[in-house]
Amino acid sequence: MKKHITYLLISLFFLLGIFLFQDFSTDDKNLHIIYCDVGQGDAIYIKTPGGKDVLVDGGPNDKVLDCLTKHMPFWDRTIDLMVATHPDADHITGLVSVLERYTVLHFVTSNTLKETGIYKRLVEAIKNEGLKPRYVYQNDKIDFGDGVVSNIYWPRESAFTEFNNIAKVNELSVVQLVSFGDFQALLTGDAGFSVQDRLLGLISDVDVLMLPHHGSKTGVSESFISTLKPSLSVISVGSKNRYGHPTTFILSLLAKYKIKTLRTDKVGEIEVVSNGETFWLSN
Amino acid sequence: MSNKLIFLYVLLVILLGIRLVYFYSSQKTYTKGERISFVTQVLSNPKEYSFYQTLFLNIDPVNKVLVKLDLDKRYYYGDYLKITGILDILVLDDLTPIFTLNYPKIEANFRENNLVLAAVYSFRQKIINNFRSNLDPISSGLMLGIVFGIKENLPKEFLNDIQITGVMHVIAASGMNVTMVSAFLFFLFKSFLKRQLAISFSVIGIIFYAAVAGFEPSIVRASIMGIIVFSAQILGRQQFSLHTLLITAFVMLFVSPQLLFNTGFALSFSATLGLLYIPELFKKWQNSLTESFITTISAQIATLPILLTNFGNYSLLSIVVNGLVLWTIPLLMVLGGLASFFIFIFPPLALFFLYLCLPFLYFFEAVVDLFATNGSTVSISSFPISLTIAYYLFLLSLLLFKYKK
Repeated sequence: MKKHITYLLISLFFLLGIFLFQDFSTDDKNLHIIYCDVGQGDAIYIKTPGGKDVLVDGGPNDKVLDCLTKHMPFWDRTIDLMVATHPDADHITGLVSVLERYTVLHFVTSNTLKETGIYKRLVEAIKNEGLKPRYVYQNDKIDFGDGVVSNIYWPRESAFTEFNNIAKVNELSVVQLVSFGDFQALLTGDAGFSVQDRLLGLISDVDVLMLPHHGSKTGVSESFISTLKPSLSVISVGSKNRYGHPTTFILSLLAKYKIKTLRTDKVGEIEVVSNGETFWLSN
Repeated sequence: MSNKLIFLYVLLVILLGIRLVYFYSSQKTYTKGERISFVTQVLSNPKEYSFYQTLFLNIDPVNKVLVKLDLDKRYYYGDYLKITGILDILVLDDLTPIFTLNYPKIEANFRENNLVLAAVYSFRQKIINNFRSNLDPISSGLMLGIVFGIKENLPKEFLNDIQITGVMHVIAASGMNVTMVSAFLFFLFKSFLKRQLAISFSVIGIIFYAAVAGFEPSIVRASIMGIIVFSAQILGRQQFSLHTLLITAFVMLFVSPQLLFNTGFALSFSATLGLLYIPELFKKWQNSLTESFITTISAQIATLPILLTNFGNYSLLSIVVNGLVLWTIPLLMVLGGLASFFIFIFPPLALFFLYLCLPFLYFFEAVVDLFATNGSTVSISSFPISLTIAYYLFLLSLLLFKYKK
C-alpha cells in the first residue's frame, strides 16, 4: 500500500511537470498553422495567439487525432471552431472522429450536401454534439479577438445557382484567408480554377498558399499563382495516391515562379508560425 | 493423488472427449460462393473507414467472417444481427485466408433485451466513450486494453509495436485483470461487511467485470478460478491451484468446445500453469528486483510454442521490455478501475484518476517506441506441432525432476 502511494505521488509530480511543460510550450502568443500529415486529404489545425483551437477539415482517416494530440496540451479537449470546407470523404472523415472525442463549440461549413454514409455520420455527430452548422458566404468574417481574422472569400451566394450543391461540392468549398497582422495564409479546400479566377481581384500577396485540391490539375491556374505570389506553398497529399496528385504541371508552375513548395507526403506535417510580421517554419 | 481423484479426472476426461468428438463431428463447413444466412451477436466494435465499415462476426461458434457494410447504419457491441449473403474468401497479408461477406443483407437488427446485459453493454460503451474523449488515442487505447482487454481502440501502428516488443499480453484481457479486480473488491467490501457477504459481493463484482470486458476466454478462465477460490473460502477450504485450473478448463471446454483452438484460451492456461510451477526453477535468484523478470520469463517459457505457432515471431528484447513496464500495470489497472467506477458517480474524479495514469502511460509508450524501432525479432515461418510436443515434454520432465528433489 505504502509503495503504491509513493508511486502515485511520483506520478503527481511528473504530471505537474508535463502540465508546466505543455502549458509553457503551447502559450507563445504566435499564430500556428499546422498542415497535418493525414495522407490523401486535408486537415489543418490552427492555434491562435489567444489560444483558440481551430480545425479546418479532418482528412480521410483519424490521423488528425495524432496531430491534435501532438499540438494541444493533454487537458485541452475543446476545439473552438471546426470548419468543413466541403463534404467530401477526404476532408470530413477525421472530423467525425474529432467530434466523438473532443468538445466542439462552433461548426462552420458551406451550404452543400452529400448522400454518402460518412456525410450522414458527420451530420449525426454534429447533432449529438448539440451543434448547429453555420453556413458561411463571401464577405463573412470570423474574428478570433486576438488579432487573427479569417475572411471568407468563397462561396459567393450566387454560386449556388451556378453549381449544384450536391454534385459540385468542390466548387463550393469554403475559401478563407487567415490573417494575423501582415501575415496571410490562404486555405482553399478543393475549389478549382474556375473559382479562383473570380477571386483574382480580391486577394493578393499571400504568404502561405495551401494548393487547392491536393495539387490536382484542376486545382490552380497560372494567373492565380502569379497574382498571389506566395512565398511558400503547401500540398497536402498522400504518398503514391491513385489520383497522381500533385501533377507535374502544378509542380513546374510552382518551380517557374520559384515558390518554395512543401509536401506532406515528403516531409510529414508542416508547421508555419507567425508573429504577425514575419513567418517561419517550425520543426 | 488419491485413487478417488484419479477416478474423477478419468471420468471428466471421458466426458469431455465425448463432448468434443460430438461437437467437432457435427460442425458445418463453408465454401466460397455459398449463400449463407445466420443470426449473430456483435462482439467487437465496428471499424469505420471513409466509405464503409467492417464487423468481425461469428457465423457459428467456430467460424468467423469479416463483414463489410455501408456506413449509413450504426451497429453496437451486443447487437444481434440476421445476415444473409454470399461468402467470399480473402487472403490476408500473412497468407491466412478469412471468410468475407461484402454488403450482405441485414434483415434484422435488434438490441439485447436482457435488461442486465443491456445495462452492461451501455456501461461498457460509456466507459469507452469517456476514456476516448479524455485521453489521446494511444493513452485511451492502452487504458482500455490494460483495464478491460479492449484492444480495438489502439492505433494500428502502435498495436504493431506492442506485438513486436512482446507486451501484447498487457493489453489483452488476462487473468491478472480478474485477480486485481477481485482483490480490490474484496479489500473494499471487507472493510465494512461480514466476510461471507464481502465474498458474495466480490463474486458478483467479478461477474460484472467479466461481462463488461466481454467474456474473453482468459477473463472467463480467471473469473471461474477466482469464484472457485472464493467459494472454497466461504466453505472454509484451502485453495488447490492445480485442481482449480483443471476443473476450470474442463468446465469451459465442456460448455464451449470451440475454445480448444482458441489462442487466448491456450495462452491463458499455459501461462497460469507456468506461473504456478516454473518460478520454482529460479528460486535462487528471487528477490524483489528480479521478481517481475522471473514472472515474465516463467510465463514466456510456458507459452513460447503457442506464441511461435500463432504469431510467428518472438522478440529477443521482450524480457527487457516487460521488466521495464510491468510494474506500471497493477497501478494502471487500479487507477483505470477507479476512473471507470467514478464515471458513473462523480466524473471529475474519474478525470483526475485518468490524468494520474498519464505519466505511466507516456513511459509505457516511450519504452515500446524505443524498443520497437531498435528491437530485433526472431521470425519463424511455421512452427511444427511435433516441436511443440517435444518442447512441452522436455519442460514437463525438467519440472518433474526439480519437484522430485
